[in-house]
Amino acid sequence: MDYFFIIDFVQSLVDGLLFGTTYALIGIGFTLIFGVMRKLNLAYGAAALAGTYIGVAAFLAFDAPPPVVFLLSALGSGIIGIVVYYCCFRFTPTQVPMASLLASVGMLLFIDEAVVHASHGMPVPYPSVFRNAIIEIGDIWVRGDLLFVFGICVVAMGVLFWLLYRTPLGLATRAVSQQPRAAALCGIDPTRVNLLTFGISGVLGGIAGAMTAAAVGVLSPIIALGLTVKGLIAVVIGGLGSIPGAIIGGLLVGASENIFLLLRGVTERDIYVMLMLFLFLTLRPGGLFGSTAGRD
Amino acid sequence: MLTLQSLSKHFGGVRAVDDISLTIKEGEIFGLIGPNGSGKSTTINLITGLYAPTTGTVTLDGYDLTAMAQHERTAMGVARTFQNIRLFGNLTVAQNLWVAQNGHEQRRAHFLPRWFKAGGEHGPDIEELLKFSRLHSKRDVQASALSFGEMRRLEMARALASNPRVLLLDEPAAGASQEDGQLLAERIRDVRDRGVTVLLIEHMMELVMGISDSIGVLNFGRKIAEGSPAEIQANQDVRAAYLGSKHKDEDLIHA
Repeated sequence: MDYFFIIDFVQSLVDGLLFGTTYALIGIGFTLIFGVMRKLNLAYGAAALAGTYIGVAAFLAFDAPPPVVFLLSALGSGIIGIVVYYCCFRFTPTQVPMASLLASVGMLLFIDEAVVHASHGMPVPYPSVFRNAIIEIGDIWVRGDLLFVFGICVVAMGVLFWLLYRTPLGLATRAVSQQPRAAALCGIDPTRVNLLTFGISGVLGGIAGAMTAAAVGVLSPIIALGLTVKGLIAVVIGGLGSIPGAIIGGLLVGASENIFLLLRGVTERDIYVMLMLFLFLTLRPGGLFGSTAGRD
Repeated sequence: MLTLQSLSKHFGGVRAVDDISLTIKEGEIFGLIGPNGSGKSTTINLITGLYAPTTGTVTLDGYDLTAMAQHERTAMGVARTFQNIRLFGNLTVAQNLWVAQNGHEQRRAHFLPRWFKAGGEHGPDIEELLKFSRLHSKRDVQASALSFGEMRRLEMARALASNPRVLLLDEPAAGASQEDGQLLAERIRDVRDRGVTVLLIEHMMELVMGISDSIGVLNFGRKIAEGSPAEIQANQDVRAAYLGSKHKDEDLIHA
């Protein structure tokens, strides 16, 4: 193994880990909703995409500065998350998990289609920051834009942890996710907690979408699929319902996809990521951090 | 105070609860007994709002609870414990109480900042409840790390933290020893002495007969008797119901 290969390998790993925080964020969103409702929201990645488009619309129309674009992406995605909750989860029967699952698939297709129509399916430029900044550590280059993506995602996770572990809202959310019936009997309105969870995870999705686009420098509707699938793989690897699991899973997906990209090229990359998913599903279906037990 | 009026709940063709009317008076301990499958748990679930009744109403102090959601009934003053304990296992003992103490306050908050306030405690004092439940030394321990008996005490304390007017205890003696049963009886009296009306569902006859002011007996979803412990013990229908089930006759006689 020659020196340059090792440098390439480490370089891929670093880039992958930095970018993997976007998958981690999406994974957290899936996991949060699953945590409180024990349901998968498959429209989540599409809602993140739509939010990102709301942000970029401001960029294209008014030449809004990047922070405003990112903020609009996050807020837009949060609002769409709440709409998804009302359309797919609020009124579907709780005893029939399939109802809300399929409703969310319909919503995924609907949002995706709406975005493709609105954008004519063409990629649009997306503002990225620190594009030309490079930090050199020996022969490893740390890209400024990826470092920015990483930083924003880590801050978003930090805020989420603060919300969950340091505020009454977080206490109520954790209570509902551990014992929904007892939480209702403690006077907590489950609908309210569900609604807030969809809003918060929507905001996280919007940040992930914005950062994905910022890392690439363009935004196109196809990232919805990537966000959805990679985010789901991250939670399957980490264990559905576990936030640390989603973070580890997201980083693992980001790192391994970049390494497969290096070793096998862009056309084969996702095959190996899917194989990894397959291995986890057969050998460790509960994920790295297992699932929470003792809930009805 | 708590009134069930012609309450029924049918699951398909099964009449789990069939036309039950009961009145629980303010400040009393009301025991609800009956063989397995007689409708006791369904009755509790109808009172707390897990199920909507097929017919009939539940009223508390004249307020009709029947159409209310579970969390709204908590705000009205209904609290319960579960036969199979349902604590927030990953929260600490104090946090479990805090959630119950503040849950129904937050329901009324219409905008976010209320949710972010760390203070603003309402209802009974958490420290006092911890002492009352002899859990003070465990205040910052995760609920899942408690012993079985401590979990039961925490569940009752959590129910009290929501500042209830009536507390429904679903088989609080399940899994407890004879001596524990004695302590439990004292604790239930203490709860009543705090001004909380108690509806006790229990298999342990000794406990029910010993502390209840009035008793209602269910069998096959119907109320077959209601009265003082002495009246219930003398009631032929009740004896027949218990003899006809797998419960031993001694349960009733030696109580």
